[in-house]
Amino acid sequence: MPAELFDNAACALAVASEDGTILQANARFSEWLGFSVAELCGRRFQDLLTIGGRIFHQTHLAPMLRMHGSVTEVKLDMLHRDGQKLTVLLNGNKREHADAVVYDLALFGTTDRDKYERELLNARNLAEALLQEKTATEVALQQAQADLNEAYAIAQRRALFAEQMVAIVSHDLKNPLTAIRMASDFLSRGERTAKERQLLGHIGQSSERAQRMIADLLDFTQARVGHGITIKAAPLDLHGVIHRAVDELRVAFPAATLEHHAEGHGDANLDADRVQQIIGNLVANSVAYGDLQRPITITSRLGDGACAVSVHNHGTAIPEALLDGLFEPMTRGTDQGSDVRSVGLGLYIVRELAKVHGGDVAVSSCATNGTCFTVTFQGR
Amino acid sequence: MDLRHRNNVNVLGDGTATLVFSHGFGCNQAMWNDLAPQFLKRFRVVLYDLVGAGLSDLGAFDKAKYSALDGYARDLNEIIDAFAEGPVILVGHSVSAMIGTLADRLAPGRVAAHVMIGPSPRYIDADGYVGGFKRADIDDLLDTLDSNYLGWSSAMAPVIMGAPEQPALSETLSDSFCRTEPDIAKQFARVTFLSDNRQDVIGLTTPVLILQSSDDLIAPVVVGEYLHSVLPNSTYCLVDNVGHCPHMSAPQACAAAMQDFLAPWAIACAG
Repeated sequence: MPAELFDNAACALAVASEDGTILQANARFSEWLGFSVAELCGRRFQDLLTIGGRIFHQTHLAPMLRMHGSVTEVKLDMLHRDGQKLTVLLNGNKREHADAVVYDLALFGTTDRDKYERELLNARNLAEALLQEKTATEVALQQAQADLNEAYAIAQRRALFAEQMVAIVSHDLKNPLTAIRMASDFLSRGERTAKERQLLGHIGQSSERAQRMIADLLDFTQARVGHGITIKAAPLDLHGVIHRAVDELRVAFPAATLEHHAEGHGDANLDADRVQQIIGNLVANSVAYGDLQRPITITSRLGDGACAVSVHNHGTAIPEALLDGLFEPMTRGTDQGSDVRSVGLGLYIVRELAKVHGGDVAVSSCATNGTCFTVTFQGR
Repeated sequence: MDLRHRNNVNVLGDGTATLVFSHGFGCNQAMWNDLAPQFLKRFRVVLYDLVGAGLSDLGAFDKAKYSALDGYARDLNEIIDAFAEGPVILVGHSVSAMIGTLADRLAPGRVAAHVMIGPSPRYIDADGYVGGFKRADIDDLLDTLDSNYLGWSSAMAPVIMGAPEQPALSETLSDSFCRTEPDIAKQFARVTFLSDNRQDVIGLTTPVLILQSSDDLIAPVVVGEYLHSVLPNSTYCLVDNVGHCPHMSAPQACAAAMQDFLAPWAIACAG
């Protein structure tokens, strides 16, 4: 009973002509798609597919059946009479008839399996998307790293350049300054009027100030963009060093009254030139911002395990808001004293010098007690 | 760059003019098996696979290069330069008709004539233009391609790609027929069905033979008529055929129309 076998087969069967026209279909085919067998015959198989399936049929299936003579396991969506999608697997075979070619088609419902396969596909797509994302992130990271390295190299070159430039300029400025000082010294030895003497004094003080600025710039450059300030520590008589420094500063700042107090006894292990520089910067600072009608007190203190120097002046208190940033470069307490101020590096350099000695600097400032900078050294 | 390997180029026949056959979306050069042999006595015949299809070098598939038909057109011009002799007539099926048009535009004067089989400059309908499809239809096709990914496994690749040092056997070719690496197939589907080449075809003065199937879902008659109206030097030939591949299902009708159209160049050969 081949007819019965054909109709009751557990899959949908059809025979189509070369152009896809259905010549024969079994009951299963008609049942699955909701068309009677009579309605199916004469229709083209491809017209029962969704539009995507029809394009796929034209571009893949039809040429493949013609060329290869068979297709297997092609998944297609067919349309039920009521518009519902029916997912099937198609096997097709070309059969040569006496006068024509026909295609034997077998369809298997695969709706449930399709759901599972779609999940697999989604998972695969997700995995591929994540992989792509990861690769993109890695590439971006590498690029960022390369950019960073390049920026770092550029910054290094700039820092080196700045350091060298400041060093060269400072060095080159020293010679003309020395010439100016020698010339003014020479001039002041002769007979001078009071006015001339005053002008020569200005020249001398200004060139000394310029020299301090140059020294500050050199130190700043070394501390900030170079390899740090270097010191040569050696045992020294702190009180004596400070005493001589104060004597020199009296000449530099004739308008101010400088008093030196020495407290305690013992030796210290410090770089004498740098200690003088610290005192010089702090005194210059006090002269610029303090009350010159009252004395500026310089104290050197030796005690057990530590030594310190401090500079105290009576002046308007430094506003609280400015105290925190006082030791940062290019910072000034107030705008007063603009005719005596430096480039704003003095306190920064004091702190850097204190640090390389293993110490630190502190400031206290109030209206009643005035302002006091204290540098504490650990080096004994 | 070994073009022969990259595009699985095969040169056959004998003549002073060259026919370059370029297959369409979904298949490979084996689709010319019923048509190309009819021209071997009067023409030099060049067959090749688009990169990503058939026995082409899948390693040469550069996503960026082939993200537009231009990439395929540049390949075609390289193949023409390397393998064609004398006047060149491009025989392009479906999307390859547009690849041929772009190749012609890129190197004006190099192509003597086009034979376009089932061509369409744009598949998706636009204002005042009927291409036959909506955007959603193309998404549905991509979905169908996706569904049949499972028919492809990486284990299949070496078999299908074949060993490059071995001559391409027609058997291997038919085995690989219409099987394409899924990612490549999807990208090619997008590039093909979402392209708009109307500005490239309008006013192209190279002689063109349009072979239009009388019943074609992919390139409907109205599209063939549109092309005939915008190609000033075109000959329109309606072939009685169901489906998008008249060169496979009606090769005699196609060959007859082509013999007439190609007569001037075939005579050049005889002379």
